[in-house]
Amino acid sequence: MARDPKHDVLFEPIRIGPKTLRNRFYQVPHCNGAGSEKPNAQAWNRAMRAEGGWGASCTEYCSIHPESDDTMRISARLWDEDDVRNLSLMCDKLHEHGALAGVELWYGGAHAPCMESRCVPRAPSQLPSDFEHLTYPKEMDKDDIREVQGFYVAAARRARSAGFDIVYVYGSHSYLPQQFLTPFYNKRTDEYGGSFENRARFWRETIEQVREAVGDDCAIAVRISTDMFMGEIGTQLERDALPFVELVDNLVDLWDVNVSGISEWGEDATPSRFYESGRQLPWQGRVKQVTKKPVVGVGRFTSADVMAEAIRSGKLDIIGACRPSISDPFLPTKISEGRYDDIRECIGCNICVSRWEIGGPPAVCTQNATFMEEYRRGWHPEKFTKAENADNDVLVVGAGPAGMECAMILGKRGMRRVHLLEAEKEMGGIMRWIPLLPGLGEWARVVNYRKIQIDKLKNVELIPSTRADANAVLKYGAEIVVIATGAYWATNGLNGATSEPIPGADASLPHVLTPEQIMVGGKEIPGERVVILDNDGYFMGVSLAEKLATEGKQVTLLTHLGEVAPYMKFTLELPNMLRKLHSLHVNIVTHAMLQSIEPGRAVSYHVFDPEHLTEWDADAVVLITQRRSNEALYRELKDLGTDALRSEGIIGLYRIGDCLAPRMVADCVFDGHRLAREIDSPDPAVPKPFLRDRKVIELLRA
Amino acid sequence: MKIVVCVKHVAVLGDEIRFTTDERDVDEDYYDRTLNEWDACAAEEALRIRERLGGEGEVLVVTVGGPSADVALQRCLAMGADRAVRISFDQTVHDPIAIGHALSEAIVPEQPDLVLVGVQSSDSVQGSTGTALAQFLDLPRVAVVKKVEYDHATRRATCHRELEGGLVDVVEVDTPAVLAIQTGINEPRYPTFRAIKDAERKEISLVSAAGGAVSGYHVRRMFVPPKPEGAEMLDGGPADVARRIAEIVKERLA
Ligand SMILES: Cc1cc2nc3c(=O)[nH]c(=O)nc-3n(C[C@H](O)[C@H](O)[C@H](O)COP(=O)(O)O)c2cc1C
Repeated sequence: MARDPKHDVLFEPIRIGPKTLRNRFYQVPHCNGAGSEKPNAQAWNRAMRAEGGWGASCTEYCSIHPESDDTMRISARLWDEDDVRNLSLMCDKLHEHGALAGVELWYGGAHAPCMESRCVPRAPSQLPSDFEHLTYPKEMDKDDIREVQGFYVAAARRARSAGFDIVYVYGSHSYLPQQFLTPFYNKRTDEYGGSFENRARFWRETIEQVREAVGDDCAIAVRISTDMFMGEIGTQLERDALPFVELVDNLVDLWDVNVSGISEWGEDATPSRFYESGRQLPWQGRVKQVTKKPVVGVGRFTSADVMAEAIRSGKLDIIGACRPSISDPFLPTKISEGRYDDIRECIGCNICVSRWEIGGPPAVCTQNATFMEEYRRGWHPEKFTKAENADNDVLVVGAGPAGMECAMILGKRGMRRVHLLEAEKEMGGIMRWIPLLPGLGEWARVVNYRKIQIDKLKNVELIPSTRADANAVLKYGAEIVVIATGAYWATNGLNGATSEPIPGADASLPHVLTPEQIMVGGKEIPGERVVILDNDGYFMGVSLAEKLATEGKQVTLLTHLGEVAPYMKFTLELPNMLRKLHSLHVNIVTHAMLQSIEPGRAVSYHVFDPEHLTEWDADAVVLITQRRSNEALYRELKDLGTDALRSEGIIGLYRIGDCLAPRMVADCVFDGHRLAREIDSPDPAVPKPFLRDRKVIELLRA
Repeated sequence: MKIVVCVKHVAVLGDEIRFTTDERDVDEDYYDRTLNEWDACAAEEALRIRERLGGEGEVLVVTVGGPSADVALQRCLAMGADRAVRISFDQTVHDPIAIGHALSEAIVPEQPDLVLVGVQSSDSVQGSTGTALAQFLDLPRVAVVKKVEYDHATRRATCHRELEGGLVDVVEVDTPAVLAIQTGINEPRYPTFRAIKDAERKEISLVSAAGGAVSGYHVRRMFVPPKPEGAEMLDGGPADVARRIAEIVKERLA
């Protein structure tokens, strides 16, 4: 199919200061876990975006000095010439693909805990960070200001010599320039605090100095937050951001406009649970009205229609993307070629963000299993080698996230025939019903994308409404069998907190329920008063609490943890989730564990004071305690032994996804993908070693 | 007991299509072939009729076409059909009458008890091959069948036909007869790899049809119709589009 002409605007080149962006697709700064110290992972990851058609790709936030050290989280760094060398690889690789390379110069102020460097960060005023617990900055005097501005200039020069085309002076997400601009962080009474002009001074001077240093060679970009959603004390669009844009417009080549501070940056990296695509356009459109320079803006853009409209309606010049470019590095190419239904759309789950928030590990993506595996495993999201054992027929049992991914990739690797056996009428597994939880509709993209791809693959066939037992699998005629039968929520209250079932917990009784029984089993929830026990700590407990409360139940949500849904802090969903549960009058009780369940009654105890009991009038108890693998089929087959399998022609038996161990969807997709990528390795059950970006010492031997 | 099932290897178009240089057909490179959905149901029904009779008898699948038609036959063999016949046919015109005639030539010597066809094919949607075939075989025909009960002792078939408004027309027919099978009558089975591999080893007999039927129609030109005018495309996110639709509805109602 040819590209729709109304999307042609997305492919018009545009000038950014001394540089030309080849089209309107721009990967904004975002972390991936590589920084400057995994230079290969960094370069290959960004280069994939360039190969996929993005006009520019940027580093994550890039520290300008050891005083801005975010350890345990991973930023890029331009502290010295070795960092220059490491990041130059990224620049070279982007240039090979015709893309511009951007770097986001970052000084964190109070939010940089400096756990590696043990420096003390400096900030406009001495206030402990509202993001990084127990971090205090030194309050800057004028010499400090001069010195830190000097760090920016030195880092900008290093950025230029590394080969970067675009140099940011980053003032969003509550980092230093925004701290000066914003009363919440800036309590100064000198010429750097108080009036707008004073609060703007630090940032204006810094941009001037950076421009003076490298502006002839590099485009100067500014990332600006236009709203912190905290009233007078936060950054405000009309009072702060717009006047700032007007003040320094002549010094800036590109405005990268977003919203939020750091403590609730889920207002920028919006979970799909709360916001749809393009939610920042009203702010970005206002900046566009006051600037003469190009504006790039994010908004979890995955639809070419929405992107083209954002440009045509004059709200943006350039489509910025973080998560959509993670989920599909080839999004621009696919739009360019009119292959709209091949686009792997971001689902807005923010698993990528969670890895940064946790600190350290490489970022992952639910939709794109190859993300951050470009270098270390050599995976390309769109290219697949023909499997050496492609003359085999593969039976994949279970069409959940792992099974779908595995079957799809095996199909792309040219296996002779792949049958994806599914007990239900439709593929999806748990992703058939998880998207029916409140706000999670877009998660269905995990299924939709794979369904469309599998439909196109001539060698992959879905076999629906078919439940196979071990004998059926044995006699199926497959050479390779992959079991992906998923997991189920414990029906007896078995949990990781006590590692025992809960007395009285039995989901075969009418008053005890599991998530599946509610979502797909059609089991009626008796009465009004529901107690939900959440030992899981991610989305299931709070989602069911929201659902049942919305349906009019009186919901009490118990968790043994100190906080409800702690993992949702990492996915940036927690603040708005808590607002929602609060507005629905859900009673949240932490440090509470159920001791027993009876019809009409449940008894909990305080985990740090087990004698302290609380009785709950409970018409129904919902158990979100732990999951267990559906492994009976796999075990039965395995117990037959290799000889029995071989006598039926089966040379390989594997299991993947939740069937191996219950995990997040991203990990299940990865598991299915990994097995398919390595189906022709000597032992496909065991992941092949991956390249590690590490320093290997040379031993001096006497 | 012998049941003949007539099947077609329908074209499945990709995203992009091109026409042949004479503009009378779609270029073969731009489509794949698969067993017609209605015919899969007919094959399944034949297998079930045989199973209901205790597994006695033969299910024979027949098609008209070149080697590319084998995919349809092979699928039926993998489902459990016993034998497959492909009628090669060099007449250039492939209209339902010509096809029906060619099928009848191969079917007559088989002397089947039942002939099952699909109501229509998904690619050309003529819905008349079965009717033409019945005419050439000089057999009764029942259209749009959603349920079949076949009594081998009395050689009668009771067929349920679905009509508008949920009405059911129950027809009794003496066999041999041609029954045109509607989708939804059953869920066609999915063959296992073993069945597929076994089917690959079965031979497909080739017969050639004398042809000679007078063709009823002639394709002049195939083309993609120009986009109709008057439609307004709404751009933007779901919320924008919804807002615009609401405005338009209000405008029109005002
Ligand atoms: C995993 C991840 C890491 C991010 N890291 C940074 C960063 O280092 N610097 C920055 O300015 N923004 C960062 N962001 C915010 C994004 O640049 C972007 O503003 C936000 O994700 C919204 O864009 P999107 O809807 O296209 O994802 C990050 C976002 C994600 C998802």
